[in-house]
Amino acid sequence: MSEEQTLPVEVSGIEQLTPLIKHFTLSPVGGGRMPAFSGGSHIVVVMRGDARRAGARVHRNPYSLLSSPHELDAYQIGVRRMEESRGGSHFMHDQVAVGTRLEIAHPVNLFPLDKIARKHVLIAGGIGITPFMAQLEDLHQGRVPYELHYCVRSPEHAAFLPRLREREGGRLHVYYDSEGEAIDFDRLLSDQPLGTHVYVCGPAGMIDRVTATARTWGWPDSHLHWEQFSAPPVGDAFDVFLARSKVHVHVQPDQSLMESIEAAGVEVPYLCRGGVCGFCQTRVLEIDGEIVHNDHYLSDADRGKFMMPCVSRARCKSLVLDL
Amino acid sequence: MLVTGIKSKPVYAPLRADPRGRYHLMLGFGEGEVALLRVLTEMQSSVPEGLARTRVLLMSSDGEAPPSDARRNIESLPLQEVRAFSDMPPLLGEFRLLLADSLMGTRLYVAGPESFIGLAMRIALEFNLNKDEIRAEQLGSLARRVHCIHCRVITENVRTNIVRCSGCERRLLVRDHYSRRLAAYMGVMVDAEAPGELPPIKEVFL
Repeated sequence: MSEEQTLPVEVSGIEQLTPLIKHFTLSPVGGGRMPAFSGGSHIVVVMRGDARRAGARVHRNPYSLLSSPHELDAYQIGVRRMEESRGGSHFMHDQVAVGTRLEIAHPVNLFPLDKIARKHVLIAGGIGITPFMAQLEDLHQGRVPYELHYCVRSPEHAAFLPRLREREGGRLHVYYDSEGEAIDFDRLLSDQPLGTHVYVCGPAGMIDRVTATARTWGWPDSHLHWEQFSAPPVGDAFDVFLARSKVHVHVQPDQSLMESIEAAGVEVPYLCRGGVCGFCQTRVLEIDGEIVHNDHYLSDADRGKFMMPCVSRARCKSLVLDL
Repeated sequence: MLVTGIKSKPVYAPLRADPRGRYHLMLGFGEGEVALLRVLTEMQSSVPEGLARTRVLLMSSDGEAPPSDARRNIESLPLQEVRAFSDMPPLLGEFRLLLADSLMGTRLYVAGPESFIGLAMRIALEFNLNKDEIRAEQLGSLARRVHCIHCRVITENVRTNIVRCSGCERRLLVRDHYSRRLAAYMGVMVDAEAPGELPPIKEVFL
C-alpha cells in the first residue's frame, strides 16, 4: 500500500483574526515554492501531535486555502475553533506555534469557479469566507461581474473585513446576525441573469436554504455550487472487519471510521475527509445493523451498498468492509 | 468511413415540459411547431401557470405557406408571447435579445431540423446555458451544416456523405464529429492521398 503523499511545512506566522479564528501561514520547509493551486482548493493538514504521549491521536482536517493563487511562497489558512472539537481545531489553536512543523496533503479543488459563467454570486457564512478569499484574487482580475454576500455573527467575528471592504467596495454585502440582518435569498436568487452561478460555503442550514430557494426559482443543479466540510460526527462505538486486509478495527465514539482504520495501519484513499468528494467510497460487504450515512455524496440508491468512512458510522453488531 | 460512435454527435429526445423551470423559452421550425404544441398541451394540464411565463418563437419551413394547424393552436394558448418569423436571421436575433433579458430559472426548448437546433444551441452556449437547461427534439431534415477544416467555410444543407466545399471546392467527407461552437459537422478532404478516387456518393442525411 502506498505511503500517504504529504508535504512538510513550517508555521511561519499566526494571527488571531477574530475571537474564534486564527490565521496560519504555512511555508515550505527548506524554502522554495508551494505547489500551484486554483481558487477554492483545500489542503488536509496532518497533525501528529506528540507521539510519546499516551493516547496521542493523528488528526487530519481539511482547510480551504485563502491566500492568492498567484503567490506561492506560502499557503494561508483560517482555522475556526470549534466548540465541539474532536481535537483538530483545538490542536491548531492551542498547540501550534510559529516554527511548528506540520504535514499537508497536496491541494485539491472541489469548489472551483465555473470558467464560462456570465456572473458569479458568492455567499459565505462565517469561516465559509475562506475559499472565496482565494477565488476573489482571480475574480478581481477578470471581467465577469460578481457579488459577495457575507454573513457573520457580529462585527467582531467578521474575518478579513477591512481587506474585503477596501478591495471589493460595492460588490461586498455584509450581514450581521447581531443586528438582525439576514440575506433575502428569494430576492437574491429570483432576479439573476441567465448564465449566473451561485456558490455557497457556510453552515449546513445556509447551504440548504440557498439550494432550496434556488431550485424554487428554477435554477438547475449545474449552476449551484456548495462546499461544506462536515466534521465527522460522534456516535456509538462499533467494530469493523476489513476483509482484504484481514484486520479487526474498533471505532471509538469520538473517532471517525477512517481515523480508526488509519490507526490500525490500513490506508484509505481520501481527498476531502468531509463527505464531499467521494474518493473514499467503500463497499459494504456485510452488515448486521444499519449504516449511519453522514456524507453529501452517495445517492440513495448507492447507500445500501457503499459508505464513506470519513464521516459515516454504523449502528451494528458487525460490519465487514471491502478494504 | 463516416466514423460512427463519435461522442460529439448530438443526441436528441422527444421534448417534455420541465416543471422545475420557472420561465420557458421555445423555438420551433417547420415540423418543430408540432412538437412544441405537444409540450405546451402537456404543460397546460400539468403546470398551467407556466404558460403565462412562456415565450415562443416560430418559423415555418415554407415562408409562403399559410400558418399550420399547429401554429394556430399554439397562438390560441394563453402564452406570454408568440411570434412568427419568415426568415432565420431575425428569429435568431430576437432569440438572442430574449436570452439577454432572461433570468436564471429559464428553460430552453428547441424543435426542428438539426441545423436549426445547432444554430440555436450555439447562441444558448454564449449565455452559458447547460445541458440541464436545454431540451431539443430533432424533426424534419437531417441535412448538415459542414465546416471545411481546410478553408473553414461552411457548406449548408448537405445531404450526402461526400460534398464539394462551397469555399475551396475540395471534396469533403462529412464526419460525425460535431462542433457546438461552430454548430457544424467537420468535413475532411476525402481524396487527398489519391486524387480523384472517391467512395460512392450517397444521400445519407435526409
